[in-house]
Amino acid sequence: MSPTARRSGLLVRWAPAGAAAAVLVLALCGGWLTDVDPAQTLTRPWSPPSGEHPLGADALGRDVLARTLHGGRELALVAGAAALIATSCGAVIGLWAGWSRSRVGSAVAAGADLLLALPLLLVALVIAVAVPVPWPVIVATVLGGAPLTLRVVADATRNARHTGYVEAALSRGEPTLTVLLREVVPAHRGLLSADLGIRAVLALQLATALAVLGHGPAPPSSDWAVMLRENLTGMPLNPAAVLAPAFALTVLALVIAFAARQAQR
Amino acid sequence: MLLRPLLRAALLLLISSLLVFLAAAALPGDAVEVRSGGRASAEQLAALRAEAGLDRPVLVRWADWLTGLLTGDLGRSLVTGREVADLVTGRLWVSSALVLGSLLVVVPLTAVLAWAGARGPAALRSIVSAGSTAVAALPQVVVAVVLVAIFSVALDLVPPVSLLPAQAPWTRPDLLFLPVLTLALPTAAYTAALLRGALEDATGLPHVKDARVRGLPRRTILARYLVPAVAPTAVRSFAVVTGSLIAGTTLVESVFGMAGLGELLVTSVGSRDAPVVQAVAMLVALAVVLGLWLADVVAVLTDPRGSHA
Repeated sequence: MSPTARRSGLLVRWAPAGAAAAVLVLALCGGWLTDVDPAQTLTRPWSPPSGEHPLGADALGRDVLARTLHGGRELALVAGAAALIATSCGAVIGLWAGWSRSRVGSAVAAGADLLLALPLLLVALVIAVAVPVPWPVIVATVLGGAPLTLRVVADATRNARHTGYVEAALSRGEPTLTVLLREVVPAHRGLLSADLGIRAVLALQLATALAVLGHGPAPPSSDWAVMLRENLTGMPLNPAAVLAPAFALTVLALVIAFAARQAQR
Repeated sequence: MLLRPLLRAALLLLISSLLVFLAAAALPGDAVEVRSGGRASAEQLAALRAEAGLDRPVLVRWADWLTGLLTGDLGRSLVTGREVADLVTGRLWVSSALVLGSLLVVVPLTAVLAWAGARGPAALRSIVSAGSTAVAALPQVVVAVVLVAIFSVALDLVPPVSLLPAQAPWTRPDLLFLPVLTLALPTAAYTAALLRGALEDATGLPHVKDARVRGLPRRTILARYLVPAVAPTAVRSFAVVTGSLIAGTTLVESVFGMAGLGELLVTSVGSRDAPVVQAVAMLVALAVVLGLWLADVVAVLTDPRGSHA
C-alpha cells in the first residue's frame, strides 16, 4: 500500500472518532466561548436574530447563542456517565455469563431478553417521579442498554473461549480473571467502544425525551432539550430559538452514532 | 402447536399486570396526599386512605384490581373521581389513530429500506445504511422540530399543533400527518436495519443459493424462500416496535398538543393517579403481548419443518 493511500485510509478510519471528540469538547466547554449570561433576560421574548443577539432571544428574552453554547455540558456528561455505567454492567455480567457455561448464565441472559420488551420511555417516566434528575436517565439506560451489551459480550466470550490465544493462556496456567482482562477484553475493544457509543445515543434520546416531558434539569438551566421544550411555541417568531438546540443535539447524536458505527467494523 | 404461544402470552400478561401494579403502587407519595395538597393532617390522610382502600396489603389490592379488570371495572381516578374506563375510552381513538397510522407508514417503509439496503446497487446500499443510522440516532423531539420547521413554518401546509376530534381522529388526516411521521421515521430506520441483516442472512442460506443456481425467477425465490425466512424476525421486530411506538405517543402527544392516552399517562404519573396509570400501562402491555403472541404464531406457521401440522 502506498503511503498516501495508507494515510487516507487512516484518515477515513479515525475521522468519525476525531469528529466525535471535537464535538464533545465543544459541548463540554462551549460555555467558555461567550461572556453573555445565559440566564439573564436581555431583550423582548422571541426577538429575531440581530447584531447584538446573533440567534435572537428565547421565551424569556435570554440570548439563544449563549444558552446553546452553555446547554451541552450537563447533557453530554449525563449521557457519557449513563453509557459508561450501562456498558460496564453489561460487559461484566456478559463476560461472566459467556464464560461460565452454567445454567445461571443462560437464565440471566433469558431474563435480560425479557427486559428488552419493556417500553423504555415509559419505564424512565415512572422512575423520573421516584428519583431526582439525572438518575432516571442513568437507571433507564442501564435497564434498557445493559441487556443488549450483555447478550453481545456473552456471545463473543463464548466464542473466544475456544480460540487459540485463550486456550494458550489457559494452558500456561493463567488465572481466569487475567485471561478475561488481558486476552478476551482487548480482543473485543472495537465491539465494546461501539457499544459505548450506542448506549450514549440512547441516553441522549432518553434525556431529551424526559426533559421535553418536564422531567429535565430545573430552570434556569440552558440544557438543549429544555430549550426545545421552552421555545417550541415561539417557533414562528424566532425559529432559531428551537433550531439552534435541535441542530446541536443532532450533531452530537450523529457524531457519536457514526463513531460507534466505524468502531463496529 | 399454537396452544403454547397462547399460554405464554397469558403468563406474560399476568406478570406484566403484577409489575404494572407494583410500579404504580411504588410511586412516592400517593394520590390522597397529592389531592389534599399537603393541608390534611395525618389522621385525615389515614381516613382517606382507608376509604380508598389504600391501606390494605399490596397483593390483596392487586388481586382485587385484577378481578376488576376482568369484569371491566377499572375503578375511579383518585384525582378527579371520574370512571377510569371513561377517561381511557375517551382518549383511545386519538392514540390508536396515531399508533396504527405510524404502523401503516413503518411496515412498507421498512420493507423498501431493508430491500434497498440488502439487495440494491452498492451506492444505494451505503446511502440507505448511513441514512438509517442517522435517523435512528436522532432524539424524537428533534425529528418533530425538523418536520414542524419544514411543513408548518416554511411551507405552511399543516398547523404545528394537532387538536384532533376525540371521537373520529381519522377524519383529519392532515392533522395526523406530522405526529405520525415523527413516530414512524426513526422507528422505520431502526427496523430496516434489523430486517436488512435478516434478509442478508436469508439470501446466504443453502436452499436459497440452490434455488438461484437452479435458475428460479427472482420473484419466486422472494415469495417462496425469502419472505418465509424473514417473516418471524419481521413480525417480532414490529411487535417490539409497537411497544416503543406506544411509548413514543407520550412525547409526540405532548409536543403536538394531542389529548391521547400518552398525554393522559404523563399527567397521571405526575399526579400519582395510580388507577389511571395502571389502566393505561396495562393497555400498553396488552398491545405488546398481543404483538409478541402474533410473532410466535407466525414463527410456528412459517417453520419450514412444518411442526404445526
